[in-house]
Amino acid sequence: MNDSRPLVIPVILGTPRQGRMSEHVAKLLVSEVGMFPGVMTELVDITKIPLPVGDAGEAIKNPEFSGLCDRADAFVIVAPEYNHGYPGLLKHVLDTNLKEYIHKAVGIVGVSAGPFGGTRVVQNLLPVMRELGLVTIFWDGNFSQVQKAFDANGNLLDKAYPRRLEKFIKELIWMGTVLRYGRENVSQV
Amino acid sequence: MSTNKQKMKCPQCGVDMNLHAEKIDYSAALREPESADPALGGVIEEFHSCPECGGSASRRSDGPR
Repeated sequence: MNDSRPLVIPVILGTPRQGRMSEHVAKLLVSEVGMFPGVMTELVDITKIPLPVGDAGEAIKNPEFSGLCDRADAFVIVAPEYNHGYPGLLKHVLDTNLKEYIHKAVGIVGVSAGPFGGTRVVQNLLPVMRELGLVTIFWDGNFSQVQKAFDANGNLLDKAYPRRLEKFIKELIWMGTVLRYGRENVSQV
Repeated sequence: MSTNKQKMKCPQCGVDMNLHAEKIDYSAALREPESADPALGGVIEEFHSCPECGGSASRRSDGPR
């Protein structure tokens, strides 16, 4: 095992909507994840991934996005809750890979304007993650009333979030580290 | 149980890759029913990782190991 490689944890901003408050959340995650030593992160804005809509799945792979997913050891998905579900474009983007995800860790951050912090979008994403071969952690990020958590410029107003996210990120790093070892060293029987 | 006998080589590093997962591809069986495992109803895909660079690769499983 090559231990000198940093753990790669991209943060996927999972909504294309105008005025999306989830962008503030995703940028906060990039900042918080990037503070951990030995970890590399970057923001993946799904609106910047050029994908056709006339087909789906691995038939429309984007080389840059697939390459990043291949290098990744874990993922953070920031998903707003729209009518209790996840954004359709997020699913369209995620479905373009498979081997790039298998036995890698994922943590989900739900975002909502209401009081429940995107818990329903988190729950709805869990079976999708499993089918893609991703391994979910048992911490979530939950941003309730996100419009109160940041100001109009994206500055964090609620200072409790970094402490909550620290627990989430530590669990994700642990799972990402263990699964990397397993992928590269533990063979199927 | 996986079935390919030879270790897959990493396309980047050339080292032996580690087989860590398999998945049944049911849609491939619709296109190529002759390739489907009769007991599982689909085509078995193997997933490998490189211990040097961490890259991933996949291939069809093609026989008893």
